[in-house]
This record gives sequence, structure tokens and C-alpha cells, in this order.
Amino acid sequence: MSDAIRSANDTVANNTVAHDDSVFGAEEMELNFGPQHPSTHGVLRLKLKVDGERIVDCYPIIGYLHRGTEKLFELNPFFQNVPHTDRMDYVAAATNNLAYVGAVEKLIGLTVPPRASYIRVLLCELQRISSHLLWLATHAIDIGAMTPFFYCFRERELVLDLFEQYCGARLTLNCMRPGGQPFDLPHGWVDTCREFLELFPAKIDEYENLLTNNRIWKKRTIGIGVLSPEVAVEYGITGPMLRASGIDFDLRKAMPYEIYDQVDFEVPLAENGDTYDRYLVRMEEMRQATRILEQCLDQLPEGALMAKKARVLKAPKGGEVYHGIEGPKGEIGFYIVGDGKPIPHRCHVRAPSFINLQSLPELVSNHMIADLVAIIGTTDIVLGEVDR
Amino acid sequence: MSAVKRFLDRIMLLDLFTGLGVTAKNMFKKKHTVQYPEERWEPADRFRGMFRLDEDRCIKCTLCARDCPIDIIYIDWHSEKNEVTGKKQKLLTRFDIDVQRCMFCGLCEEACPTEPKSIWLTSKSYELASYDRWSNLYVDMDDLMDWKIRPDYTDEEIR
Amino acid sequence: MPGLLQWLDEFAGPTLFEFAVSPTLKILALLFLFVLPLISYIVLAERKILGYIQARVGPNRVGPWGLLQPIADVVKLLLKEDVIPVRAVRWAFVLAPCLVVAPAFVIFSVIPFGPPSTGEGAPNWFITDVNTGLLLVIALATIGVYGLIIGGWASNNKFSLMGGLRSAAQMISYEVPQGFSVVVPILLAGTLSLVGIVQAQEGHQLFGLLPRWFVFHPTGIFAFFVYMVAGIAESNRNPFDLPEAETELVAGFHTEYSGMRFALFFLGEYANMIVVSAIAVTLFFGGWLPPFDFLGMAFLPMGLGGVLWFVTKLFAFLFVYIWFRGTFPRYRFDQLMDLGWKWLIPMALILVVLTALLKLLFPS
Repeated sequence: MSDAIRSANDTVANNTVAHDDSVFGAEEMELNFGPQHPSTHGVLRLKLKVDGERIVDCYPIIGYLHRGTEKLFELNPFFQNVPHTDRMDYVAAATNNLAYVGAVEKLIGLTVPPRASYIRVLLCELQRISSHLLWLATHAIDIGAMTPFFYCFRERELVLDLFEQYCGARLTLNCMRPGGQPFDLPHGWVDTCREFLELFPAKIDEYENLLTNNRIWKKRTIGIGVLSPEVAVEYGITGPMLRASGIDFDLRKAMPYEIYDQVDFEVPLAENGDTYDRYLVRMEEMRQATRILEQCLDQLPEGALMAKKARVLKAPKGGEVYHGIEGPKGEIGFYIVGDGKPIPHRCHVRAPSFINLQSLPELVSNHMIADLVAIIGTTDIVLGEVDR
Repeated sequence: MSAVKRFLDRIMLLDLFTGLGVTAKNMFKKKHTVQYPEERWEPADRFRGMFRLDEDRCIKCTLCARDCPIDIIYIDWHSEKNEVTGKKQKLLTRFDIDVQRCMFCGLCEEACPTEPKSIWLTSKSYELASYDRWSNLYVDMDDLMDWKIRPDYTDEEIR
Repeated sequence: MPGLLQWLDEFAGPTLFEFAVSPTLKILALLFLFVLPLISYIVLAERKILGYIQARVGPNRVGPWGLLQPIADVVKLLLKEDVIPVRAVRWAFVLAPCLVVAPAFVIFSVIPFGPPSTGEGAPNWFITDVNTGLLLVIALATIGVYGLIIGGWASNNKFSLMGGLRSAAQMISYEVPQGFSVVVPILLAGTLSLVGIVQAQEGHQLFGLLPRWFVFHPTGIFAFFVYMVAGIAESNRNPFDLPEAETELVAGFHTEYSGMRFALFFLGEYANMIVVSAIAVTLFFGGWLPPFDFLGMAFLPMGLGGVLWFVTKLFAFLFVYIWFRGTFPRYRFDQLMDLGWKWLIPMALILVVLTALLKLLFPS
């Protein structure tokens, strides 16, 4: 599939070049896009070959934010690694935490008390909302709409306030521990959360009024960066990008973790797999997250927060485990190998941003430079997670 | 019928006017920015800000230094005879935190076995900007025990 | 040499004063007393209004409500280092900002800000009334684009070059519908003089309910629409701000510019904005004419009431510009061409024919 597209591109490109050469002596231009560019969402660097404004070839270069996180995991006891996971996908720290502590719990064999489970789901869904809001903000400003950026940040601030009231941090949460939750919900948190949930759907409508039916927005997104289901599966793409291509795969439904089998929600799907569909899917995911949050608040049980465990957690010798959860950007998973010590022997991260980014050259080929920024925005990458 | 409606929508630019309506409405809504030096944001009770240390409560177990993921807490202690009681007791020689590398994860506070905690981050002070990282962001015991470790930028002496 | 001076004296004499010195002085006075303060405060107003749209308050630190912000901005830009990239083409790099600003300022000389002299003591509220005023405006507006192209090319930066190319294509394709759309008011008024066009809009229609502005004419309203879209595109404003699309081309044609040279580009953009709005007011909204006679503020001396009405209408247009910027996403380059060539140009052509037919059938 990919080869076919690429060869088709080559023929197109060759034709143009041959034609241009004979008349004007024109050739393709190499354009260095990033790492310091306003819309590469961090330090992504793209080597582009452009024919006028049309992109002939795209070669992503990553690693400008590499901090050796996976190696860092091998140096610290299990619980000390949680703050490091915050710094991978720094706009969705709670889901990173959950993926890591889930993997550790699976490796050691700890059962999390139900109340802790509910709190985890609450935090993760709030994190999904905040991550999607940040995505919408930057995606809209990439396409030129400046105002949604501020509206999204206005509501994201409320989510961050909820995080701050729970765990004391706004961005790098460090809010979960292997075995359970370190603290209970503070007094009044549930009410504040409910207030937010009452207010939020109207705000989503506001964003949609600004963008969804806007003809310029539609023109810039429909049919741009089409990802066919086959290609999506081949690349291992997950999350909203995969579901926008029409494949119903959501780990919350497919392999329910924590208490996702006890709440009722829908997995939004779309058909075309273009930028507009990915936008619609993410908007609907925010609404579904609100639904999940409401149910969680209604069902929230009393009880312990931490499983019974040793002060020093030790991994069984030869234990190997993979635990993946549905993060805001896709499946984030941790693969941990234990060797009888209190530190992981090896830890690998399946980072959704990194894997979704792989499809970028295919998505942008034969599009314009203006589409390139729309497509980078819609893949929703965080370079902290891509480079780790 | 729907085709006619779609055509009318297209001609009348209804989609664009909806967007203009949203922005016009927001023009008169409450503004959400905080005018920083005059108005100041009050952190939540659990907010993890600058460190505080209480030397009297501290039992010099060094658990906080051991639990720190990036090893930025440096503790030295020595034994000394208390002149009043005549008993031997541990005293801190050094309790330094290299705040420039600190990521405010709060694991040191969690590790502290005393009740109430002898090291804690819920001081609600977040104005940690400074002109010199080595003199201002490498804090020692005296800084940690001083309640007002960072100047308020609205203070008269700063102005 | 003495012969030349003598000839100059004989030839020019009072003429020199009338045709060179006096207009220059008037233009400079207009520039420094009206246009430059207006532009700097429009920049402030834009930041304020955008702030209010976006749930924040905008600049409010320099002076009360941030009213001294423009001065601070100018001082900052003047004091900044003026960087010229090593590989830039120096003369072109220096020339480009001037090419953008100068034509935009010259256009102000033909814009009628108020009525012509009504009696003793009352001045003409315009510098000159050229009988081909509209042609002059269009011709001068065309020169501005060279500045963008030259600036984009001379910077020796690929992003700048692409910005320059975009602006070239955009301006050329949008001048055509703009030119056609102004033909409609010309046909309706029967003159090219801007003062004449405004005077042709005097009076009322529909039993005195509507002023006879050309925007209320059955074809005039569509011509106004075409003119406005093309005008926004001409002045590189959102949703057509492709030449400087900051998320795509970093800053487009002025990526490499800094300090006062950047400020000149900036001035040029806002001057163009004012020119487009002022021409729209003149051609379609009856210039200095009040909507109804009792609102005319005739009690003000020297025709100041008319000036007030003109400025009010101008500000309304500028506000709409800013409002659009706060609301809309940006078109893509090829979609912009699409809109221009496939929609606006045919529409404008049809409007010209329709207007001519109407004029033939109903000469009154």
C-alpha cells in the first residue's frame, strides 16, 4: 500500500520535474521544517522536499528531546519511576501514571481497592479532556483560528485546578502509586468536579459553533491526510486516529482495565479517516469522557485506597509483563521485565505519539505545506513522548 | 429539500455568522486572566510548592534523601551531647536541597515517617524565579526553615 | 545653470507651490496628525478587542488601560538592532519596506474624509480631488505588492520566498475582482472622482427610509461583498493572511526583518487596512454622508459632522476586520485562488453587466 502510494508520488514528481526542467529549469526545493518552528508541536524536525508548495517527500527527524527515560527506569525502585512517567507525555500525565503503575501491579500481583480504581478512572478521564482540549487549541491555531486556543485553555484551567486540588500539581501529577492511590479525594472535590461537568458540554458546543460547520475549517480539514484503515493497522496506529479511520478498537472496551467495564459509554467512530473525522472523533470523546466522569462520581464507593503491600516492592525473578491502556493519544503501554530486585530490569514504553508519528510521511505526501501543519496537529504528538 | 437548504446555507454564510456570534458573545463575558502582581493566584491546599523543614521534628532517618528519584537531598548529621538533659542526640550538620533540579514530585514528603511531617511541600509558595541559580536555588537548612523563603514580588523592598 | 534656475522660477513660480509643496505639506500633516496615530491606536485596539474576544483583557500595563502601549511599541522597535542577513540582497532588502509603505500612504491624498468646502473658512476635507481618483487608488495599491515580493526574495530565506510568492499570486488574482467590483459604483455614479461618487449617493430611496448609498442598490450590495472579500485578501488579513501565515511560514515575507524595517511592513499592512476600509466607505456607504439628514450634525462648524460620520463608518469597518481575525481559520493557498477565480471574478463580471443593464433600463 505504502509502496504503491510512494511510487505514484515518484511518477508524479518525476513528470513535473521533467516537464519543468525542459521549460524553466526548475527543480525541487529542500526545506528544513523545524525543530524551531511554531507549529511542529515541540522539537520535531522535518526534512521536506517541496515542489512549489506541494510536498514531494517528507523525512521526520526526532531525538531532540531524548532524555533516556527508559534507561532511567532501570536505576530507580518501582515507585520512584512514577514522576519520570509524568514527563513523557507531559500533557497527559495521569494516563502515563496509570499505564506504568498498572504494569507494576500486574508484575507483582497487587489488587487495587475499588475506590482507588474509581479515583484513577476519574483522573484519567479528566486527563483525556485536558489533553484533547490542548490538542484542539493547538490544532485550531495551526489552521489559523486563534480564538479557540484561548477558550480551550480557559476550560483546561478548570481541569488543572481539579488536579491541583487532588494531588497538588497541575501538569506533572505523580498522582498514582503501585498498589493504589496515595491520597483520598479532598473535601469538596466531587462537587467541584460536578460543577465542571455541568458547565463543560456547553463549552464543547461553543467550540463546535466556531469550527465544525465553518466552511473554511471544513475546506482545510475534509479530505486532508486520509488514513485508510489498512494503512492504519499496518502502522500500528491507535487511539482517535485509528477510530477515525473506522476501526472500532478501544482498549477501554476491548480489554477493560480498572473499572471501565462498569461504566456505560460509547466509542465514537468515523469513516473517512481524514483530518475532519479525527477532529469529530476527539470532540465526541470529550463528551463521552464527561459521561464516564458523571457515572464514576455517582458510583464512587468508600473504602481503602492502598492494597496491602510490602514497603519495598520486589519483582518476581523472570517476570515479564505488558500493560497497555487507552491514553488520550492512543494505546500507551509499559513492558517491564523483573529480575527479583526492587528495580525493573528492563522497561520499554509503547508510546502512542511515536507510533502515530510514523505515518506522517505517508499522510503528508502530495499535500501542501499548509496541510502539513494541519496533519501534524491532527496526529496529536507530544515530543516528550516521541523521544522519551 | 435538503439540497435547497444546503444551498441557502451556503449562500447566506450562516456557518460564518454562527462563529462571529460566538466571538461577539464572548466579548462581553467575564475575563479569566489574573493581573499578576496585584491579584495573586491562591494555590489549593495540597499544592506542592517550595520546601519547608522542621529540624526539631526531624529524626534524621534520611528516608527522604533515599526516596528522592533524582537524589537532590543531601543530609549529614552528627551526635552531640545535649547540655540540658545530658543525653546524646542527633543533630543536622547539613540539609541541602538542590532545587534547580527538583521536580516537586512530593515523594520525600511521603517518605517522611514523622507525624506531622518534618519536610513538606505544601507551603503554597510558587514564586521561585531568581537571578542566580547557584545562590538562590541551592537551599540549605536555614533557608528551608525560614518560613518566608522567597520574597513576594509585590513587597516594597523588591519594588 | 542660471538659465535652468530661471526657467524653473518662470515655469513653476506659484504652480510649484500649488502642485508640489502644498500637497506634500498636506500629505505630511495628514500622515503625522491622522494616519500614524490612527494606525498605532488601531494596533492597540486590535490587541484589546482580540483580548476581549479571547477571554482576556489585552495590554493594560503601559499607561491607563494600556493607552501608552503604542508609544512603548514604537520606542522598542526603534531601539531594536536592525539585522540584515549576510546573504541578503542588501539594496532590495532595504527597499522592500519602503515600497510597501509609500504607496499606501499616498493613497490617503485622494480619500475624501469629509465634504468639500461649504463656504468661507471651511476647508476641503481632502487633499486633492483627482477626476480619475479611483484609478489612482487601484494603481497605487498594486505597487505595494512589489514590496512583499522583493522583501521575500531579498531575505534569502526559503520561508520568506514562499511568503513572497504567495502574496504575489494572491494580490494579482484578487486585484481583478476588486477592479471589477468598483466598476459598479463607477457605473452608478457616472464618475471616477471619489468626491463625485460620494455626492452621487446623496438623497434617499424607498420613501425616504433608506439612504441612497450604493450598498443598498440591488447590485451594489453584491459588489460591496466582492469588494470587501477582495479587499481583505489585498490587505493580507485573516482569513486570507497567507503571505505571513505564522503557523506555516513562521512569519512569511518578513521572517528576516527586524526593528524599524519590520515596523514599516507592519505600518504598511495597517495602512492598507485603513485604505481598503476608507474606499469601501466612500464607494458603498456614502462617505461623509449621514444615514438620515437629522443625524447630520450640521451644527458642527466647517463640515466636521461629515468627517465624524466618515470616521465612524471607518472604525466600524476596522472593527469588522479585527472581529474576523478573532473568529476565522485561514484558507489554504490553492483554495484562496479557487475562491478568487471561480467565484469572485465571475460574480463581479455578472454584476458589472447587470448594473449596466439596470442603468440602461432605468436611467433615473
